[in-house]
Amino acid sequence: MAESTATTEREFMLDVRTQDMEVNMGPQHPATHGVMRILMRADGEICTGAQPHLGYLHRCAEKIGENVEWLQYLPYTDRYDYLAAMNNNLGYSLAVEKLMGIEIPRRALMIRTICAELNRIGSHLIAFGTYGLDIGAFTPFLYMFREREWMMALFEKICGARLTYSYIRIGGVFNDAPPGWLSEVERFCDVFEEKWQEYVDLLMVNHIFVQRTANIGVISPAMALDFGLSGPMVRGSGIDWDLRRDMPYELYAEIWKAGAFSIPLGKGERGALGDCWDRAYVRVMEMMESIKIVRWCLDSIAPGPVIADIPKTLRVPAGEAYVGIENPRGELGHYVVSDGGKVAVRCRVRGPSFTNLAVVEELMPGTLIADAVAIIGSTDIVVGETDR
Amino acid sequence: MDFRGILDRLKARQAPGLVGSDEPRAADPADKKDKGRAGDPFLWVEAQALPRFLELCRDDERLRFECLIDLTATDPSKDDPNLHVVVQLLSLAFRHRLMVKCTLPKAAASMPSSVPVHRAAQWHERECGEMFGITFTGHPDPRHILLPEDWIGTPLRKDYVFPDEYHGISCK
Repeated sequence: MAESTATTEREFMLDVRTQDMEVNMGPQHPATHGVMRILMRADGEICTGAQPHLGYLHRCAEKIGENVEWLQYLPYTDRYDYLAAMNNNLGYSLAVEKLMGIEIPRRALMIRTICAELNRIGSHLIAFGTYGLDIGAFTPFLYMFREREWMMALFEKICGARLTYSYIRIGGVFNDAPPGWLSEVERFCDVFEEKWQEYVDLLMVNHIFVQRTANIGVISPAMALDFGLSGPMVRGSGIDWDLRRDMPYELYAEIWKAGAFSIPLGKGERGALGDCWDRAYVRVMEMMESIKIVRWCLDSIAPGPVIADIPKTLRVPAGEAYVGIENPRGELGHYVVSDGGKVAVRCRVRGPSFTNLAVVEELMPGTLIADAVAIIGSTDIVVGETDR
Repeated sequence: MDFRGILDRLKARQAPGLVGSDEPRAADPADKKDKGRAGDPFLWVEAQALPRFLELCRDDERLRFECLIDLTATDPSKDDPNLHVVVQLLSLAFRHRLMVKCTLPKAAASMPSSVPVHRAAQWHERECGEMFGITFTGHPDPRHILLPEDWIGTPLRKDYVFPDEYHGISCK
C-alpha cells in the first residue's frame, strides 16, 4: 500500500477521505485582534501547519527612532503595544535614563508605578475578555470593558488621553496627579476587587471555558525557554520568572521586600501544565497582584517634585544600553545606541508579542481547527507590537 | 554573576570566537575630546563563531544563558564598513544578562544562523536579515517577515534610499 500508516489511521478514525487544504485566517479576523494573516493547512478538521504572515501594520518605528529627537520619539512608543502604552513609555524612558544617569524624584516613581500597574490591569482585562469572546463567551467581555472604561477615565484625568498617553517622560512624569485622583484610584481598587471575583466565577472556572482551554496548546518549560518566551507565557508553564522581582527596576525591589505582591504561576490545575487555561489563569491572578502594588504605592506616596530637571533638547551621552521591563505581555526590551547627539543611532524595540507569536507555528500542527483560535488568543498578541 | 565574573568564566572555558570586552567608562579629564561611554558592558565575539559561542553560554553550568532575548543589528554610520550584530542573552537560573556584539563587513554580510542553538533566533534573524541585508546561512526559513517579499533595499542601513513608489503607490 502506498499510503503511510498515519494517514490510514486517521481515515479509520474519521471514517472519511480527506485531503490537505489551505485556509487563510485573516488578515481581517476577529481572533487575530489586528491585521495579521495565518496561513493554515488543514486535513479535514485537523490543522497540519500554520504560518503567521506579519507586517500589515509595520510602521517603521525603529527607523523613525533614528530620525527624530530623543524626546520626540516618546509618542511613537505608545503605538506599538497600544493596550499598555504607559508600560511602553516607561521602558523607553528607563533606557534613555540609564544612558543619561538621571535620578528620578520619588513621587514620580510612585506615580509611574501606579500608572504602569493600572495599565497592566487594563491590558489583562482586554486579554482575558477578548479571549472569552474568541471562544464564544460574549458577556464577560462587556463586564471587563466596564472596568477598563473606568481605568481609562482615570488616565484621561491625569494626562488627557485615553489610549496613547505619552505621560511617563524621560526624567519623571508629565505633571502631578490632579487633586482627588489618588483617592479615586483607591475607590477603583475597592470596586475592582469585588468585580474580579465575578470574572473568576463567570469565566475562569466556567465548565465550557475550561473544556475549551485545558490541555490545549501545551507549552513545556523547555520549549518556553528555547523560544525565548516571557511574561505570562512562561509563568503559565510554571517557570517562576518575573522581571519585577528578579531584575527589579524603579521601586519594585522595595515593594517586593515589603511583601506587597506575589507571582502567580500556572500549576496545571485543570489540565496539563502550560496549557491555555494556565496562561489565562496567570493573567487573571496578576490583576489582583497589580491592585496590591497600587495599594502599596497609595499608602506610601508623599508630596514632592514629579520630574527631574532635564533640558528641552536632550543630548544623551555616547554609549549603548539595554533595558528590559515586565510588560503585561512579557519582556519589553529597548536597546538604544547614542553617539552623543540629539538623535539616536539605533533604537531597537524587542516586543514580547513578536517572540510570543513565534511559538504558534510550533503549537498548531496536530490540533483541531476549532482550537486554533483558543491557542492564538492565549498568546495574547497585539499586532501593533509584532509589526512595530 | 556580574559582567567581570562572566568574562572570567568565558575566558577559563576558552569560549570560541571571544575577541574582547567593552565596558562603560567615565570621560578622561586630560583628553577634552574623550567623552567616555555610558550604558552597559558587552563582549566582542567573532561573527562566524557566534552559534558555537551561544551554545557554550547556554550549556555552561555556571552561566546557563538559556534564553536568547533579542538578536538585532546596528549600522553605526554611513562611512563605517561594518555592521554590528547584537545579541541579548538572559539567564533565568542565575538572574544575569549579557550583551554580545559581532562585527560583520557590509560588503560580505553573511554569518551562520543561531537557530540550531536557540529557536528564538528564528524570527529575529529573519527581521535582521531583511532590515540589514544579512544572510544567515543555514536558516530554516529565510523569508522576509515584516516587509513584503518583493521589497527592494535594506531599510535600517544608514545609506538606505527611500523608494519613490511601490507598485504604483506613491511613497513621497
